[in-house]
Amino acid sequence: MSKNTVWRLLRRNISIGQIAGYAVANFVGLAIVLTAIQFYRDVTSVWEDDDSFISNDYMILSKRVEGIGSFTGNSSGTKFSQSEIDDIASQPWARKVGKFSSAAFNVYADVELGGNRMGSALFLESIPDDYFDVRPRDWGYEPGKSRFVPVILSKDYLSLYNFGFAASRGMPQVSEEVMGMVPLKLSLSGRGRQEWIDARIVGFSSRLNTIAVPEEFMAWANREFSAGGSESPSRLIVLLDHPGDPQAESYMDEHGYERAGDRADNGKAAYFLSIVTTVVIAVGLVISVLAFFILTLSIYLLLQKNRVKIHQLMQLGYSPRQVSGYYHRIVMAVNLAVLVGAIMVAIVASGCWREPLSALGVESAAPWLTIAIGVAMMGLITFGNIAAISRAVKRDFFV
Amino acid sequence: MTEKISLRRVLPRGFRDMAEDARVKASELWLREELDFVRGGRYVIEAESGTGKSSLCSFLYGARCDYDGAIFFDGVDIRGFSIDDWCGLRRLSLAYMPQEMCLFPELTVMENIEIKNRLTAYRSADEIMRLLDRLEIAGKVDETVGRLSVGQQQRVAIIRSLCQPFDFLLIDEPVSHLDARNNCAVASLVEEEAARQGAAVIATSVGNKIAMHGFELVKL
Repeated sequence: MSKNTVWRLLRRNISIGQIAGYAVANFVGLAIVLTAIQFYRDVTSVWEDDDSFISNDYMILSKRVEGIGSFTGNSSGTKFSQSEIDDIASQPWARKVGKFSSAAFNVYADVELGGNRMGSALFLESIPDDYFDVRPRDWGYEPGKSRFVPVILSKDYLSLYNFGFAASRGMPQVSEEVMGMVPLKLSLSGRGRQEWIDARIVGFSSRLNTIAVPEEFMAWANREFSAGGSESPSRLIVLLDHPGDPQAESYMDEHGYERAGDRADNGKAAYFLSIVTTVVIAVGLVISVLAFFILTLSIYLLLQKNRVKIHQLMQLGYSPRQVSGYYHRIVMAVNLAVLVGAIMVAIVASGCWREPLSALGVESAAPWLTIAIGVAMMGLITFGNIAAISRAVKRDFFV
Repeated sequence: MTEKISLRRVLPRGFRDMAEDARVKASELWLREELDFVRGGRYVIEAESGTGKSSLCSFLYGARCDYDGAIFFDGVDIRGFSIDDWCGLRRLSLAYMPQEMCLFPELTVMENIEIKNRLTAYRSADEIMRLLDRLEIAGKVDETVGRLSVGQQQRVAIIRSLCQPFDFLLIDEPVSHLDARNNCAVASLVEEEAARQGAAVIATSVGNKIAMHGFELVKL
């Protein structure tokens, strides 16, 4: 009974209206923050998925081809020197930079498709394995041991063949799977030597606009068939720190570099999305902070009104900790309810956009990080409230 | 356990300008080089109103520290005591009945006493009833305190202050609103409890003195 007696004394002057006002305000603020975070994470979860519409953490750089320099066979103007590569790598927006190495020998490919034999001069390039968006099973090459050279083709090339070439020539259209079964023969020649090697298309990349072979193969073949030493790369692949960084754009304009593909627009969309999310989160945070001050003021008012009682309780030997404990419990209960409500709003909202997003092939992110952020924010707010209460009660210890 | 409370040249800050005042000079307490209250003693501090007797109680109870000079509990300056130290003392060593009693008017007599007793778990409900009975207010046990007369409230406050172990019982004008018979009842109860615990009683009065036996009178 007596525990309730103290509580009966201390709950006097508690304004349900003020606490409800705080709870609603903080609920709105926190719900906005958590929902925005969850939305951002749901939409950007696709960035972790390499082959996605918004994926733009990679860009492929080349120098602009100008004048007639390249006609004369002088391509050194479009090569990247080591110092240029180092400069790009040292930029804040660049996480890592990979070089395209190209074949410095002649390549001729021979393919038999539906009874038709076709042959063409080709080019090959390779980049470090980390930069591929696909990772086929048979990737890799060991000279003398591997049965064939795995090749990754740009998806665009397949489309070009299927919808451009094959359609107009009355040749069969092929799927990615069928293409993988087509036997391919590569003729490598240079330095007065020539060799036929089996090859197979093992994957299609939407990031790389090239015909790519493993680095090990390229190194071996260049050693065997190339006359010159190692060439400087004319294309670079850069992993960006975050998509659509305007700093990266201006850097490239400044140096006259070009980026491959039209992915830049996606990058801008991503950048815009992150700005909008930031603004929404900031608005939510402002509301939460204001709510925090409402509660703090309301608590101060309450403690002020109950000042005499609090002082008298401490005169009887109640410690400030015991007295504040009652108010701490109210704050914790209200904040817990607000937190649970806000997390539920974020999860329910996330359920609302799950369907349209999954139609775009985007899987929603797990809500754990959002929940953790909510708990952390509420923890911080609660800690601030509790500290304010303890301080105010302690002040009433002395007359 | 606190054995001795010592005052050394203590003067409320509010009296600073009055150090040369005849009343302060005549005081047997303010600005004295050496004044000790010892455990087991009986003291009555007699004063005119406005001479700082309630301030003295607040100083000794740790509720105020706006005084010059120093107060020692067993040689330790009480200015250095933390809030936790004071809370401990107020539960185990120092019992205090303020002049304004500080009862909660919206609570009943029993609730007012229980609110102290639950901190110390010092007395059973039966013991509390016996004490109320002895001071003739057992019939009011479920009455809210706000509806009692001042004299009845004083008796409730006395009983509440006895719901803890103590070395010093500080009672500020405990019988100012009591008749001679009730004064005797309170005095005998207080003396009995103090004797049982070997504790000291420090009572103040502006006229109606508590009817204790063999006390030392200190004129403020």
